[in-house]
Amino acid sequence: MELSRPMQILRDLTAAVVTALFMFPVFWWALTSIKPISAVFNKDKVVWFDFTPTLINYAVTLFGRSRSQMAIDEGLGMGVAGAEAYDSRQTIVDSIIVSVGATTVTILVAVFAAYALSRMRFKGRESYLNWVLGQRFMPPIAILVPLVTIYSGLGMRDIQNIYLGYIGLMLIYALMNLPIALLLMKSFFDDIPKDVDEAAMIDGATRWQSFSKVVLPMVRGGVAASAVLCFVFSWTEFLLSLFLTTDIRTVPVKIQTFVTSTGNEWGFIAALGTAAMIPSFIFILLVQRHLVRGLTLGSLKE
Amino acid sequence: MSAAAAARAPWLSRFITSEHPLPWLLPAAALMTVFGIYPLVSAFISTLYRKNAATRKLVFDPDYNWVKVFGDERMWNALMNTLIYTGVALVFQLALGMLIALLLDSDRKGYGFMRALMTLPLVIPPAVTAMMFLMMLNGSFGVIAQGIIWTGLLPDNFSILGNASTALPGVLLAEIWQWTPFMVLIMLAGLRSLPKEPFEAAAIDGATNVQAFFKLTLPMMSKVIAIAVLIRGIDLLRAFDYVKVMTDSGPGTATETLTSYSGRIYFGNADFPYASTIALLTLILVIITSTFFMKAFKVKL
Repeated sequence: MELSRPMQILRDLTAAVVTALFMFPVFWWALTSIKPISAVFNKDKVVWFDFTPTLINYAVTLFGRSRSQMAIDEGLGMGVAGAEAYDSRQTIVDSIIVSVGATTVTILVAVFAAYALSRMRFKGRESYLNWVLGQRFMPPIAILVPLVTIYSGLGMRDIQNIYLGYIGLMLIYALMNLPIALLLMKSFFDDIPKDVDEAAMIDGATRWQSFSKVVLPMVRGGVAASAVLCFVFSWTEFLLSLFLTTDIRTVPVKIQTFVTSTGNEWGFIAALGTAAMIPSFIFILLVQRHLVRGLTLGSLKE
Repeated sequence: MSAAAAARAPWLSRFITSEHPLPWLLPAAALMTVFGIYPLVSAFISTLYRKNAATRKLVFDPDYNWVKVFGDERMWNALMNTLIYTGVALVFQLALGMLIALLLDSDRKGYGFMRALMTLPLVIPPAVTAMMFLMMLNGSFGVIAQGIIWTGLLPDNFSILGNASTALPGVLLAEIWQWTPFMVLIMLAGLRSLPKEPFEAAAIDGATNVQAFFKLTLPMMSKVIAIAVLIRGIDLLRAFDYVKVMTDSGPGTATETLTSYSGRIYFGNADFPYASTIALLTLILVIITSTFFMKAFKVKL
């Protein structure tokens, strides 16, 4: 709609202010991450810009520099304990292993089922779709207790076997992401006319060939979008990782351990938190075109 | 599949590549059965046992937990909190989401960038967002809390999350901040898919923008809004992360939701049967409300 010039300027300004307001927490987070320990640790007032920027928080969390040495260098006596507890390198590795593994499993499993649900007509198709959707309704906490028991019995807790621990977490994340990946992939398959498969099969291709050689390459964008969403949801998952694992610490769980009895290490929390949102933000921008479709499980198309 | 394997088991390769849907559906079904259905059924079976607090033995007592849960005042409090949490978050996210979407729906320079920025909150782990708001709501050095105290609405050093009357709004602030962009993106997609002609016709007839919004935009967006509410509602009813991190259900039980109550029992006195009862109750609540919603508003995912 056409607006008069002053109204248009007012609208631009409002849009900018609203966006800025929504970005403020992230900005504040990033700002806190470059504040020295003395400006955030157990401080009793808000420090805005009167500090000397430092990368100390990143050095400790991402590069394993010793917390106590940092404190001594700054001439502080407080909080000189717990040197390794803030080193989050292993945490980032854990998060990447689990998220990438879970995404791979989800996509592999979902893409076949999505193809069949989109292309084939069979009895129980509706029930299968309802089952997938019902899976989305399930609160993770409902299966938590039995899951811990099952994993313990099979020796799959991370305290029993670290590798099986990774696999256990990957599989349960794969389950949680399955509905969104499956329904999203199905909506992409639905976009491709059935004539495409039929033409290929008339030319002598088997069902498998028409799937792998013809249809699958046409939905690459959809596979990418599903993979990104699965990655983001695995990367940000908290409850299952918190209850199921002890040695494997993903980022959202690890960050909670920075809340200590002597005070909360806000600088480290901010540094790890800021670093943790960068990879998923980049991924999500790459598939922005399909984002709404993904968030609505394939029901809304842009 | 390699040629050798196919030669050894020709029926297998023929089956896998056949027209039959089963091989295609089986992997997903297996995952959902082993890690979904089986634990769910075991959880239900476990609720049929009573945990003896003294001996820690499980005794078969099928209706014990289910009778106990409906007489449990803490459960009703948690249910109320869950419904308030869901309702308030939905209203704010929907209203703000629609307003911001209308604001950002423009092809002028800079709007694309602002829309991209709006996706940022969606990729932050909720447990990290919760920590961020925990810091910003701290009564002595939190930037948001200090801002509110500066306006005089709250007394000095007021602990928003430590006070029973303000804890839930504090947790909701984090929830609303993180997920309003979800609504913004969906509403934007809805707005962009609207046909232009009715609006042009309305403008010729002299309708104001406000009239056009209520008479045209809203009715045409009803399906989009219903889907957004349904998806968000399912997640809100299962809310856990913000409550766990920001207040750990406290102070007292002021911010206890069904899932966080279940988690608290799990961690607290390890009465697993009762923890599962409450978790299953949450599942039943989600299924009933969402089925009712889908029927009432005629939406399908």
